[in-house]
Amino acid sequence: MLGEFEYLIITAAASLGENAYSAAIRDEIVRATGRKCSLGALYTTVDRLKAKGLVKTAMGEATPQRGGRAKRMILVTAEGAGAAEQFYHAVTRLTRNVAWAPRGLRVALCR
Amino acid sequence: MPMNFWNASRWVELLARWLSPGDRETVLGDLEEAGESGAEALLSIAGLLIRRQLSVWRNWRPWVAAFGLSMPASFLLMGFSVSIAQTYQSAIGSMVSPGLAILLCDIGLLAAWSATGGFALGTISRRTTWISAVFSLLPCAFCLARFRIDSLSRLCLLLFLPPAVAGLCFGLRTSRIRFGASLAVAIVTTALTIPHWNKPGAWLPNWMLSWPAWYLVAIAWRRKVLRSGFDAR
Repeated sequence: MLGEFEYLIITAAASLGENAYSAAIRDEIVRATGRKCSLGALYTTVDRLKAKGLVKTAMGEATPQRGGRAKRMILVTAEGAGAAEQFYHAVTRLTRNVAWAPRGLRVALCR
Repeated sequence: MPMNFWNASRWVELLARWLSPGDRETVLGDLEEAGESGAEALLSIAGLLIRRQLSVWRNWRPWVAAFGLSMPASFLLMGFSVSIAQTYQSAIGSMVSPGLAILLCDIGLLAAWSATGGFALGTISRRTTWISAVFSLLPCAFCLARFRIDSLSRLCLLLFLPPAVAGLCFGLRTSRIRFGASLAVAIVTTALTIPHWNKPGAWLPNWMLSWPAWYLVAIAWRRKVLRSGFDAR
């Protein structure tokens, strides 16, 4: 089972698609959660996901806004997508009867 | 123009040198893109380095390298270095004697133990080599400070260092060793310990200092088996 931060990284990377690289994923997580995301936490978690075979990384192009330095592109593997889906369903199932669950979700899951 | 000591971006560059070249490139690029500079960037990169180091210590390898090999082997090899220096003192003057043969055997054994220990250290945990080196040098500093044999120089404590450093450099440069070569080194090392088998308490240094040679045989054998399995496919 994925951890919360691992899930956030995989989901952000999947939503960014071909443009998923460390800085963009970090921005996406900060935007979605409103929390600060440290570079250390991001990189070490990506390392862990890579070791588990849930993401792949590759060096991308260099851009002027990065001072001519290359990006570290992150690609979600099929196993990574499966693990994120499992996490999502577990959280959704667990949330269906609580007060803060969206009404639509409560109805959909109770059927 | 002299660089400002308190210039944070200079420290960021310095800290980034501890990262692998690929990581350095992407981390500095990410900081630039995020517009992080100064203390913020310094904290980010220091946090990454600390997390990286801590994550390495989740594995058994750095623990074995530091506490199972570096520290105890340093103490034992220093003791053996002093013993060789004393044997040399007693053997000198008699060019053909059992003492000279024992001295030559012991020098070979010291070189073999030190070199295989250094090689194993470089192979077991590359990313914590500097910590293992510190754990190896601490006993040296301790013993150098308390050395009290008037007839010998303090430096004789460190006779083991040159072959150990050579083995470590070789292990860091190439972690691969051929099965035949590793087996030959392990057999020769073990054979050189035979004159010490009847000495009381010799089993501890024999066992403690010989295991790296047999560890190298084990990893070379494992690589050989894996390769033959790969070739068979």
